[in-house]
Amino acid sequence: MLFVHAAEQGLIYGLMALGVYLAFRVLAFPDLSVDGTFPLGAAVAGMLVLRGFSPYWALVGALGAGLVAGAFTGVLATRLRIPGLLAGVLTMIMLYSLNLRIMGRPNLSLLGRPSALLALARSLGIPRTYETLGAAGVFCVAWALLVLLFLHTELGGTMRAVGQNPQLVRSLGVNPDHLLVLGLAFSNGLVAFSGALAAQYSGFADVGMGVGTIIAGLASVIIGEMLLRPRSLVWAVAGVLVGSVGYRWAISVALRYGAVLGFTPSDLRLVTALVVLGALAAPALRAALKGESA
Amino acid sequence: MILELLTVTKTFALGAERVVALKDLDLSLCEGDFTAVIGSNGAGKTTLLNVIAGTCRPDRGQVKLAGQDVTRWPAHRRAHLIGRVFQDPLQGTAAQMTVAENLALAAKKGGRGLVPLLTARRRCALAETLASLEMDLEKRLAERVAHLSGGERQALAVLMAILTRPKLLLLDEHTAALDPANAEKVLAITERLVAENRLTTIMVTHRMDQALALGNRLIMMHKGQIILDLGAQEKRGLRVEDLVGLFREVGVCDDALFLAQR
Repeated sequence: MLFVHAAEQGLIYGLMALGVYLAFRVLAFPDLSVDGTFPLGAAVAGMLVLRGFSPYWALVGALGAGLVAGAFTGVLATRLRIPGLLAGVLTMIMLYSLNLRIMGRPNLSLLGRPSALLALARSLGIPRTYETLGAAGVFCVAWALLVLLFLHTELGGTMRAVGQNPQLVRSLGVNPDHLLVLGLAFSNGLVAFSGALAAQYSGFADVGMGVGTIIAGLASVIIGEMLLRPRSLVWAVAGVLVGSVGYRWAISVALRYGAVLGFTPSDLRLVTALVVLGALAAPALRAALKGESA
Repeated sequence: MILELLTVTKTFALGAERVVALKDLDLSLCEGDFTAVIGSNGAGKTTLLNVIAGTCRPDRGQVKLAGQDVTRWPAHRRAHLIGRVFQDPLQGTAAQMTVAENLALAAKKGGRGLVPLLTARRRCALAETLASLEMDLEKRLAERVAHLSGGERQALAVLMAILTRPKLLLLDEHTAALDPANAEKVLAITERLVAENRLTTIMVTHRMDQALALGNRLIMMHKGQIILDLGAQEKRGLRVEDLVGLFREVGVCDDALFLAQR
């Protein structure tokens, strides 16, 4: 059961990781607005559900809000020439206040309210034990296919080139700034969608639920890359989802058995950050070790 | 006239100093002209190409391309008229995308449609185009460009730059970063593709032998101005030593010049 729960979370948060992958890997843009757009999705979806909208429409609303927020970061970074990291942080900070305004209070309880995951599982007839897992899987596969199809179109191909060589894109007659805005919108739309699913899954939306989202997303991307060593886009995208599930498994194991080592749940973010730190530092450390041994 | 520059001036601030990169420069190119541009370091050769391509806007003057005043057009808007190959092979391609994807992007000039970038038919057409390079790249369509050698990558970049038959091709010392054998190869490919497509071309080079061997016009730049402009007639029979002599005559004398003789 532990693994099933972790896998459910892995898939739900996997959509967020997919968004992070689009920004960090495809666009090579270090977008920190994610920490704000994840709770934005939760807040928008939560309010829509409480107002009586169907949980599906709540997801659509969250997606739309994320698209706008991502585009906003993109405009800050391109039109206003604000450095990328700062542009993301500015959006994130603004969203903190905005999320409070949307919800009208720091958190919303969605317990007993309809959830898109359960609604989808029931309409597909997925067995009860696996209904969340199955429905989250359906959402993940659908989004992953959409992202993959998109990246293989002309527009998507040009967008991939933006992250690798913006000058080439310019010489191809396309303004890379436009594609950056579009890509960040897409990325944050996914993140907000994931936040909305997470809120419906856990039964609450909280203004603080976004803290550390970006680190979890990066950890998933990196773990996926280490596990699958992708050589193609298909494997890269699959790797993000696999990495997200792997990350949640590792966390749940750490929380379950970590007490033996003296870990408490409050150490979660420290441990996560250390995992990401280790993965990011690995190439430098490896080079340093080789340098010494040579 | 395919290209006209009218009294183009560009200065850069270098600390407190102001450096004149281009000074009241006039230049016009006829359709089909292959112009080699030489000059010592800091003569303004690359700035000239940047002003034409639109990556740098002149302080004064006008740039006309194919009958249109493009002075205020951003680079990406001029791109469908211009193909450019840089010195660094990394600049002309997207490293993590495949050979086929790179070519397809160039063929569509950065298409923005939501249709597949690569179809079976397009892959075939691209393989055929690549075969013309005679570098066996058509067998490596699915390979990432990052795995290609510098020479292969630059040959691909040249092909990508001319794929849509631009009105003007800009070559910015595009063989300077390659080893001699590959430089020869890429140069031969460039020459053939330019001739086949009858492209108007500007080639910046620091090699005088190259400038003499290629093209029907030779321009020498110094301190932001054109100090020598030779047509096909005057160029013929000229040797590297003569060129150095001409350089001296107009008062240019620096070490770079002697290094450039090779």
